[in-house]
Amino acid sequence: MRAGDRPAVAIAGVGQAGPVAADSRSIPEMVLAAVEEALADAAIGFDGVEAVVTASVDLFDGLTASNVAITEVVGAVMRPETRIAGDGLCAAIHGACELRAGACETVLAVAHGKASMAPHWALTEWAMDPVFLQPLGIDFLVCAGLQACALAQGDGGATERWAELAARRAAAGDAAIAPPRSAAEILASPVLASPLRRGMAAPLGDGACAVVLRAAAGGPGEAPVRIAGAGWDLEPHSPGERDLARWHGLERACARAGLDRTDPGLELAEPSCLFAHEEELFRAAAGIGEEAPLSPGGGLFAGTAPHVAGLSRLIACARAIRDGAARRALAHGAWGPAGQAHAVAVLEAW
Amino acid sequence: MIVEGRVQIPFRYAAGAAASRFGAALRDERRILGARCTGCDRVLCPPGPFCGSCGGAAGAAVEVGPGATLLAWTELPDRGAFALVRLDGADGALAHRLVDVPEPRVGMRLRARFAPERGGDIRDIEGFGAEGIER
Repeated sequence: MRAGDRPAVAIAGVGQAGPVAADSRSIPEMVLAAVEEALADAAIGFDGVEAVVTASVDLFDGLTASNVAITEVVGAVMRPETRIAGDGLCAAIHGACELRAGACETVLAVAHGKASMAPHWALTEWAMDPVFLQPLGIDFLVCAGLQACALAQGDGGATERWAELAARRAAAGDAAIAPPRSAAEILASPVLASPLRRGMAAPLGDGACAVVLRAAAGGPGEAPVRIAGAGWDLEPHSPGERDLARWHGLERACARAGLDRTDPGLELAEPSCLFAHEEELFRAAAGIGEEAPLSPGGGLFAGTAPHVAGLSRLIACARAIRDGAARRALAHGAWGPAGQAHAVAVLEAW
Repeated sequence: MIVEGRVQIPFRYAAGAAASRFGAALRDERRILGARCTGCDRVLCPPGPFCGSCGGAAGAAVEVGPGATLLAWTELPDRGAFALVRLDGADGALAHRLVDVPEPRVGMRLRARFAPERGGDIRDIEGFGAEGIER
């Protein structure tokens, strides 16, 4: 998706509920809070929304189809709704495609997740291939451990580096879910999936995000942030069919978004890294060096709800651009075992 | 207020032709069968209907293993160890369990351990243990 004759896509409003470790509200209540905030931010009501795209995953909601629970609170009754079983950033990208296609002029993109409902990592076993992987008990956590092992080969300082990185990110967050810890404490925390320690994983919780997107001609009076490019890409499902030490899918997603490697204009990157080692995979694949700030608010280490992560990163980028902290930013979402799938959006100031 | 729920639903998954051939060879002959990709000539194991790299159809069966090389491993509290192994004669890697390897090292030689009771699926290999140490 690149600039051209088609309408540009403005980020007109953003809203967020959480993340918190356990939200006592129901999923519809949580989603409604995020949606109302986004609509108010865009200065429209439900009647101003023409189409809705939601992102949620049945498995993690304990419900099929998980969008049924939120039909009313996202204003999808008697409107076109699309549901995406993947990261929330994909909902925003799909909504942007609807606008670019001229199908409508205002889209609401929503994502929700409630990790407090069930043991999250245990559930992920059900997201694995049922013939060769599920029967062995291989889940996303096992895949993350294998990936970290592959990445650490010949790199004696890897775990210390990841501990320091996790400590730095957690300290930058608002500690909504987990208190900050030192690198030494993280290295001494219980093994999650060796070589990963518990403190090297972003704390999971409950949350929802909502974004109002609007087709716009650009210029004075428009929303100050636009989506300048977007892309997504998949790798093979089985960890054995991939080079686990590289995020090739992210490399391709960035290329699809029109992002040159080592893009000099990027002033902020907000990756969805659930584990500290993933930040190194992200940097290598997206070509992000030390010059652009990365996750200044702690990224997912400030707490995240599964599958909301990418949309929360888009909101973080949009807010930074509105505040004048950056003029061009990269938001990233990932889902599947060991980063099987990636989505990116390039946001720019208008 | 919290409403408790539990989902427990048995499923029966059709394994597909290549995985069925793989399962039958494990169960009946304690042999590990991969499949040669008709597109890029790689030997796929575990064998699916097509190649994950090039999308070509899986072709003739090729025996691989039981020797293997350890590519990556991880250990989880109370859940044991898991490994990515490259079976001798195969391309790509197989994700499986690591058994009785006190000090795993990437690059070390392993050997498939077959289950005494076999039902025709991936669990007919109990896991991969150190080569030369037989039970």
